[in-house]
Amino acid sequence: MMTLDTPSSSSSSSSSLLISRKDAHIVMGYLHYERMKLAIKLARYALDHNETPVACIFIHEPTNSVIAYGLNATNHSLTGVAHAEFMGIEQIKNLVGPHHLMDFFKDVVLYVTVEPCIMCASALKQLNIKKVVFGCANERFGGNGTVLHINKDKALLNAPSLPKAESASYEAIPGILRKEAIMLLRYFYVRENKSAVTPRNKAERNLDKETFPDLIWSTYIDRETFIQEFGSAQSIHYENNSDLMSFNDDIDWSLIETPWDDIVEDLNEKCQSFNMIQRKKSKLETV
Amino acid sequence: MVKKVNNPLKIDFQKCIIEGRLQQILPKHITSEPELINIWTIDINPQDSKYFIAFIRRNIKETDPISLLHLKRIQKNPNDKSLLKLILCSVEYIADREDIIKLLESIEKKTPNGNVEKIQYTNLNKDLKVPKEPPITRELINEWSKKFWPMVWNGNPNDQILNDYIIDMDSIRGKLDIISKQSQSLAKSNEIPVVSLFVNPLDPLNHILSIDQRNSTSGCQLDHSIMNGIKKVAEDEVKRRKLEQEAKESNNYREKTYLCLNFDVYTTHEPCSMCSMALIHSRIKRLIFIKPMEVTGSLRPESGHGYCMHANKNLNSKYEVFQWIGDEYPVGSVENYTCC
Repeated sequence: MMTLDTPSSSSSSSSSLLISRKDAHIVMGYLHYERMKLAIKLARYALDHNETPVACIFIHEPTNSVIAYGLNATNHSLTGVAHAEFMGIEQIKNLVGPHHLMDFFKDVVLYVTVEPCIMCASALKQLNIKKVVFGCANERFGGNGTVLHINKDKALLNAPSLPKAESASYEAIPGILRKEAIMLLRYFYVRENKSAVTPRNKAERNLDKETFPDLIWSTYIDRETFIQEFGSAQSIHYENNSDLMSFNDDIDWSLIETPWDDIVEDLNEKCQSFNMIQRKKSKLETV
Repeated sequence: MVKKVNNPLKIDFQKCIIEGRLQQILPKHITSEPELINIWTIDINPQDSKYFIAFIRRNIKETDPISLLHLKRIQKNPNDKSLLKLILCSVEYIADREDIIKLLESIEKKTPNGNVEKIQYTNLNKDLKVPKEPPITRELINEWSKKFWPMVWNGNPNDQILNDYIIDMDSIRGKLDIISKQSQSLAKSNEIPVVSLFVNPLDPLNHILSIDQRNSTSGCQLDHSIMNGIKKVAEDEVKRRKLEQEAKESNNYREKTYLCLNFDVYTTHEPCSMCSMALIHSRIKRLIFIKPMEVTGSLRPESGHGYCMHANKNLNSKYEVFQWIGDEYPVGSVENYTCC
């Protein structure tokens, strides 16, 4: 299994891997895209099954393993709260047990195609998640900067279950496969949602493949965090409110126009193999 | 809608308290800082104003999505006293200059000698910024009138909102009694004493009670009473639809429950950001809570970060919120950092 340090780790550990800081950023960027591709495929799967194309995968960072996934299920479940993140949380709950979630989540990074809504952003914070990486902004409900900054608020500052210095706040990194995530939402919104209370207006039914809103990086992360994440070579995009270029010069149309029928099976396999490692490990520990 | 004086409920319009018990919870900031919007204005000759006013009444007033009733439609042009400045409509209603021009071309007037001619105007632009909504005090209206555009005082708009609330005090007391008793009994057995109760307007007699389950054997950190209640509503609806389908001959069909649309929710403790947002997603009508949560609460402007989640203008929907400020319904206490 491939193990990689994050770019923010200490210099001693990255030198032991014999990769320079610049390379580390490229590797990290590559990892972000590879992981987000899984989430995008799953979102496409959701679209093909008449759900909002929002999907996520959860990564256990120390082992670089997929441990859970989720897609939106608000239509099927008849609740407005069955968001992708909650499905993944439920899987992790089954994996590690309901009372060890917070200890486990400190090593977990979420990749989600659309910025978590305020509700999900709060849930992830209460679980003490390590980091969130997302594709496009959630214009109406975004809880990682667009509407509110739930991930940076101080509501959990005094909770004794959390280490004081960290106080559960987490970084939320935007912009990975952003245009692909937006296009999937556009595919969805040109259809009509018959169960919604208010019908959509006509203008929203035209599919736009050309124009995209700016990515205002500073709404989500400060410059320092951006450079830590992507390296200073990319910092021009922070100033210009533009998309990163190294990994997606243009929209990856094949990624969003292919129905990924096997993606759920594929993710299930990945999650199960992590599950086995966990069990072996816990057996060893008890010996 | 009853007139204020005929309302059987005792309402303190100053403090926004109904029957001395229900404190209306509203964000503070919307009242002092206006949200500004752009509007289309033109300069016209005073003798033409009646044609424009008639035109606006016929074609714009009802259809403009922004109510401009709090603004005086016409005032003297400050730069040229011989002309009047007139508000046409909001830019949100009509965005394109060409569309406005076309609209204005349709206004005609009869001259004294019987001819019909196009009406004249100058200085068409959308530069003027005005408050989208009226303020709540006379002092503010004077201030804003000077700063932006002359405004009309129709009384505090919130007075009408308060007056229009449909409140059944006996029913509310009954529901609060249920959650209060449940909360106290949970506190006695050392459980987290947070309790919620969901009332479906389509089935008001069968309320759904839910408790906090984060410390139960199968519960996790996120199993707050409101999240549990929302899930229970959906589970019950799935069951109900199944039963209804099985017993096609029965005559007790009713409308499908959509999410928690128009539900009333009662809860012992002010909800956290997750739960208050979950209620937005669920489209409830009203929430009544008993105990404020200073650090984690997300409804009162004084709680937490003052999110006022139920009335955040950036979110597409809202719900009514009241705090019960009497001491009739004691609840078990929780630590102030607990998210409820």
